Amino acid sequence: MHDFLVDTNKFKRTNTIVHPRYGCAIGAVYSVVAIPGGVPIANCGPGCADKQFFMMCGENGYQGTNGAGAGAMPSANVGENEIVFGGTKKLDALIKSALRIMKGDIFVVVTGCSGELVGDDVGSVVRRYQKAGKPVVFADAAGFKGNNVTGHEIVVKEIIDQFVGEYRGRKQKGLLNLFFEVPYFNTNWRGDFIEMKRVLEGAGLRVNVLFGPESRGVAEWKDIPKAQFNLVVSPWVGISTAEYLKGKYNQPYLHVPIIPVGEEATTEFVRSVVGFAGIDPKKSEEFIEKEAKLYYYFLEHFTEFFSEFWFGLPSRFAIASDAATNLALTKFLADQMGVIPVRQIITDNPPEKFREGIRRLYENITEGVSAEVDFIEDGYVIEREIKNADFRGAVPLILGSTWEMDVAAELKGLLVRVGTPNTEEVVMNRSFIGYRGALTFMEKVYTAAVGGGS
Amino acid sequence: MAKKIRQIAIYGKGGIGKSTTTQNLTAGLAEAGKKVMVVGCDPKADSTRLLLGGLAQRTVLDTLRDEGEDISLDLIMKEGYKHTRCVESGGPEPGVGCAGRGIITSIGLLERLGAYTKDLDYVFYDVLGDVVCGGFAMPIREGKAKEIYIVASGEMMALYAANNIAKGIERYAKQGGVRLGGIICNSRNVDRENDLLRAFSEELGTQLVHFIPRDNIVQRAEIRKKTVIDYKPDCNQANEYRALAKRIAENKKFVIPKPMKQERLEEILTEFGLMAEIGDEYAI
Repeated sequence: MHDFLVDTNKFKRTNTIVHPRYGCAIGAVYSVVAIPGGVPIANCGPGCADKQFFMMCGENGYQGTNGAGAGAMPSANVGENEIVFGGTKKLDALIKSALRIMKGDIFVVVTGCSGELVGDDVGSVVRRYQKAGKPVVFADAAGFKGNNVTGHEIVVKEIIDQFVGEYRGRKQKGLLNLFFEVPYFNTNWRGDFIEMKRVLEGAGLRVNVLFGPESRGVAEWKDIPKAQFNLVVSPWVGISTAEYLKGKYNQPYLHVPIIPVGEEATTEFVRSVVGFAGIDPKKSEEFIEKEAKLYYYFLEHFTEFFSEFWFGLPSRFAIASDAATNLALTKFLADQMGVIPVRQIITDNPPEKFREGIRRLYENITEGVSAEVDFIEDGYVIEREIKNADFRGAVPLILGSTWEMDVAAELKGLLVRVGTPNTEEVVMNRSFIGYRGALTFMEKVYTAAVGGGS
Repeated sequence: MAKKIRQIAIYGKGGIGKSTTTQNLTAGLAEAGKKVMVVGCDPKADSTRLLLGGLAQRTVLDTLRDEGEDISLDLIMKEGYKHTRCVESGGPEPGVGCAGRGIITSIGLLERLGAYTKDLDYVFYDVLGDVVCGGFAMPIREGKAKEIYIVASGEMMALYAANNIAKGIERYAKQGGVRLGGIICNSRNVDRENDLLRAFSEELGTQLVHFIPRDNIVQRAEIRKKTVIDYKPDCNQANEYRALAKRIAENKKFVIPKPMKQERLEEILTEFGLMAEIGDEYAI
């Protein structure tokens, strides 16, 4: 073991990391792509935009885009000329062309490191378009500001500030804004947004989902201030946005730190949201009953296999993923499936101020079971920690990314991919959350257990 | 053994007279038959005006912007007084882009275009103000200027700047071969200026290369777009610049500077400033 990896402060951040698991702030161009009608304008070097494509979209379930992402993304392709002389002229020409060529309802200029380092005044360029009534927004998302999750929050705030604007009208009871997973970054985000919307609407609420196939695009964003409240379903992403909206539009927010997976958690989730909204629970209770009936129909059939199949079912698991996925799946496996958490590793570098709160959520994650969690970004250390985990001779279940293939093979374990990069699966409408997604997740885990490849 | 080009960078506080000093000094070297190239590293592009007899030159960066990289050397290099070769790096418009990167770009282009020919004896880089970022340190990075002279005067801010520049030099000196050749005093007629500059130089571990007295003939020559040596070759000030050129040509003392802590710098300033004051009041 290298000396520099010896932890004084538990897992001290290593100075070099292998196996990257997130993009940089400019990866937030994919948050724009995730808005129907959204067109990102990448104001950065060509390599930056390209790298983000691989981490967020390409080598992450080959998700694809609506025609404004990947190779079709308008990009300033910043070069030496723009560094020395400033890049605003080129950007101006690019915005003009993008407005002419690309079909879109909102254009977001996302500026990376180069423009921010040389001090390009992007705001002055974009404001001219805004004054002319064009739906153009700018966001400073230099990579040195943080990872793609940070970038996502910057982009969301700037769209609200510059595009949604002021609102003094009435709020609509039962309407909420959902702040949830990070589009593209969370591999299953599309399926998850669909399931989350289905559950909330089933409970009698109306939802501005803002991203994904069921978002109404900019019309929905314009409705943000009309919502009765904001719902943050994530350990930490979205809290700063909700705090901001609390001040800006006087909207309260409900924070549910653990994304619900399975009947029990989802039912509890529905009841807490309905309770917070103060709407009549009649509809939600009917919905819960219907969903539970369906859920347990499948679970009943599953138990036949679960109780009779004796060989190679996992009883202990490790997970290396972003905080949101990590908490959601750890809770479900420990609480509902009786699989014991032995190594929980959060890889998306949450801000320090949220870490203690996240850590506490793993204490008593289910009755009599507490898990310890560590924040590690370096794949070398992650592999070592998984290798050293105590699986007690049972077949190790490892939830992770493509990077965990080697360690899973070495331990003769089962690998279920739950985050980026994911180069062995094509992901379209898939979800591991809520009522329906939980069943898919169980299929995934136990298919691997019966030899269905992993 | 092949002759080595002496590459020299001139730094100093803005407005201290770096460009004037550099051009008069290079005029002295050119007059003595040396082949010299002057590279202005300042977006204002006024480092070669006196050698060229005006600001007629297109800068490297302007040319790069208008014509692209596929250009010939004669577009950006002009011949001035006694065959000195003059180049201006130039820079972006004030307030946009990155002038520091501009210097890196233009020196890179000069190298690619083969400006550093073997017949050169000296290349001078006249660098803007302070070493504010990596770009302005470009001329003293490995493989470029190995000798540095700092132009200063007895004014406080000039010495602050000089000390700060010494910090930059120290950093690069530890990594490579760059050394401080000395301090050039461009006099502002400050009390006990010569003593102060000598003490300051000594504290830095270097030498006062030359003390150039203040003389309005410099300004008169500048108005005529000439160096003093060109304008009035027989005047005393022309001889001062010739003496400076000779000192630099013969200089063998190159050191890694020992920049002072703020407190020590203040001490030296107080010592010389206060003594001068006392001298005024208690003159015998």
